[in-house]
Amino acid sequence: MFFNSLSFAVFLPIVFVLYWFVFNKNKASQNAVLIVASYYFYSCWDWRFLFLLVFSTFLDYYTGLRIEKGKTEWGRKFWFWLSIIVNLGFLGVFKYYNFFASSLSESLNAVGLSTSPLLLNVVLPVGISFYTFHGLSYVIDIYLKRIKAETNFVDYSLFVSYFPLLVAGPIERATHLLPQVKIKRHFDFEKAQEGVYQFLWGLVKKVVIADTCATYANAIFDYHSSMNSLSLILGAVYFAFQIYGDFSGYSDMALGMSKLFGIDLLRNFNYPYFSRDIAEFWRRWHISLSSWFRDYLYIPLGGSSGGMGMKIRNTFIIFLVSGFWHGANWTFIAWGLINAIYFLPLLLLQRNRTNMETVVLQRNWESVRVFGSILMTFMLSCLAWIFFRASSISQALRYIQQIFTDQHFTSQFLKNQRYNYELLFLIVAFVVVEWNSRTKVEPISGKYSSLKLVLCLAAILALGTFSDYKEFIYFQF
Amino acid sequence: MKQFSRLIVFILIAILLLAVVLDWGYTTIFQQSSTRGKIEYVYHASPQQYDVVFLGSSRANNHFVAPLFEEKGIKTFNYGMSASHLFEASLLLKLMVERKFVIKKLILETDMNLANETRDAGISAQFLPYLHDSQIIKDHFSVEQDFWKLYYIPFYRYLAFDAKIGFREMNRSWRQVPTNYLDNLGYHPLGGKKKGNMKNDIHKMKPLDNRYYKEIKAICKANNIELIALMTPMCSNVKGMDYFDRVKSKYPEIHNYEKAVEGDQYFSSCGHLNDEGARMFTKIILKDFFGKS
Repeated sequence: MFFNSLSFAVFLPIVFVLYWFVFNKNKASQNAVLIVASYYFYSCWDWRFLFLLVFSTFLDYYTGLRIEKGKTEWGRKFWFWLSIIVNLGFLGVFKYYNFFASSLSESLNAVGLSTSPLLLNVVLPVGISFYTFHGLSYVIDIYLKRIKAETNFVDYSLFVSYFPLLVAGPIERATHLLPQVKIKRHFDFEKAQEGVYQFLWGLVKKVVIADTCATYANAIFDYHSSMNSLSLILGAVYFAFQIYGDFSGYSDMALGMSKLFGIDLLRNFNYPYFSRDIAEFWRRWHISLSSWFRDYLYIPLGGSSGGMGMKIRNTFIIFLVSGFWHGANWTFIAWGLINAIYFLPLLLLQRNRTNMETVVLQRNWESVRVFGSILMTFMLSCLAWIFFRASSISQALRYIQQIFTDQHFTSQFLKNQRYNYELLFLIVAFVVVEWNSRTKVEPISGKYSSLKLVLCLAAILALGTFSDYKEFIYFQF
Repeated sequence: MKQFSRLIVFILIAILLLAVVLDWGYTTIFQQSSTRGKIEYVYHASPQQYDVVFLGSSRANNHFVAPLFEEKGIKTFNYGMSASHLFEASLLLKLMVERKFVIKKLILETDMNLANETRDAGISAQFLPYLHDSQIIKDHFSVEQDFWKLYYIPFYRYLAFDAKIGFREMNRSWRQVPTNYLDNLGYHPLGGKKKGNMKNDIHKMKPLDNRYYKEIKAICKANNIELIALMTPMCSNVKGMDYFDRVKSKYPEIHNYEKAVEGDQYFSSCGHLNDEGARMFTKIILKDFFGKS
């Protein structure tokens, strides 16, 4: 059940009505509705993995309590590591086992030892990377005595399984979400209205931008050997907007619908393509994951406290792990590595925290420089996205090589029966809208909101891609 | 909550109004266009007289060289459409009859398309702009599972088939951007490019008791159209070649021309002759059915 499906359009209003009109007596009944709805939502993907989700939830709930009540340090450590090992074990088996087995086999074959890997025929449970990280942050926070363990199982389950964030985040923190589910929510029109606007804008990003870009990006990446330089450059740009529209669109829908239930989720995107350097890009892209790695990996590794060498080592570690988190493929690791390399000069020059405020352009030379740095950052991220999108590193390298060797910059008719440049008008329009609303979470609210709302609805109906349906990219992670 | 209810009602009304307005706008624009495809060409056509017309999938569209018929004084048009099934062929023939086309002979490609009774989403979508204006199209689609959605939900048809009749196609129809579908009297030559896949596996296909083939036969009988149903050539590397024998035993009236052109050099892909092969094949048909050489 995707957020942009017809079944979800039925599901969401039913849950909304039950939540605010039938089971609105207290927070327990509100939470009960949400948890039942969340489990139903998850079971629509594959009911068998519901057991995994419930088990993972119970494990972290129970170990959290045992850690808190642990009388000895050894006992606390035991329950802590049990949770970590089991959580990462699930992730390892379902997501990474086949990758490691086949990589090991390939390595052995390369040195002359003929092996065939024993691969598991398993399907990756939807959202496992996200709910595992919810649980991990919770247990780590208890172990480090940052928070108290939750005693109410339903409340804790809701923190892990709340359906707007269950399958593709944002990755929530107990400190942010649990306090909200511990109290009864009261309907707030302003918040609900903002939620509706944000949901609809997310839908525009998904069906108008991401899915339309996908048809072009696929037609170019899948047939890259017959593409000219212009098509290949546009392919990378289209994919950049596809993944942005897809993931930030999903996040907007998740945040928007959550506001309908009176619950705020962590912001996940903050107009990343208007970043002036890569450090700023990573403060604005998939914020909940970046901050998770910062808090639970970078800082425990020593962060930036141990000199430049330590900083560089830790930066490379979090980028590589972040790449690997996305999927069991060398292309994701390469993507992480490239971003780490981009980050390196900023780190060495100690300029990784210079662009903290929202970008402003005026009619002066400084703005030309800022605009140039935005463009450069976007180009660098497009280059990295080629690795993310390609099926192998060698394909990505061939793709990049062909951009520079083909040297033809003409229009080209693609396999999707469209010319390579046709989507540029839509992309430019989208960028203009995003630029004008970069200080808000969505562009609909404010002046002329009714008109902008109608324009959004018209864009969804008239410009959306519906027949060539694309799953959300991040569901596979 | 009252304010919120008002917002939701506003959104729902806006969606409904937009759907109605967009549906009307798209339909109006598509109805002005008559040169971008064979379906709209027939839909807007005045009465025509043909000695022979061709119907079928790409294996008709790419195989019958209509200009060769004209050279022999045989008035013709190739109405074959790539990817179409017999569902669309039958409907197009119904429209031709309604528009008072006088057709002496109909050459219908009937081979692989006998194995299914479904509609092709892409081709059949091109009939949908006329769904409310043509009783024939409405009746033809009425057996489809999604008919009520297509017919009663405003703009649903354009939304569900946006790749074929969505914004881009509407925009191109509005600007009257030309296509090559009607060039060469409807015949689309293949060739001049790299060879495609020269093997095919059709061993799982079964010729059905196809309702749309029966429909076409009945239409021809009722309108004094001589129906020539035939199977067109395939390349040599086909797994399950006995499919054509099964077609022949189920429908003895269908002529088997599956081996009429042999040699992969005459094929663009396994199921499609290139222009040279199509000309060879057309000459055989001209000789066998029209006594012209």
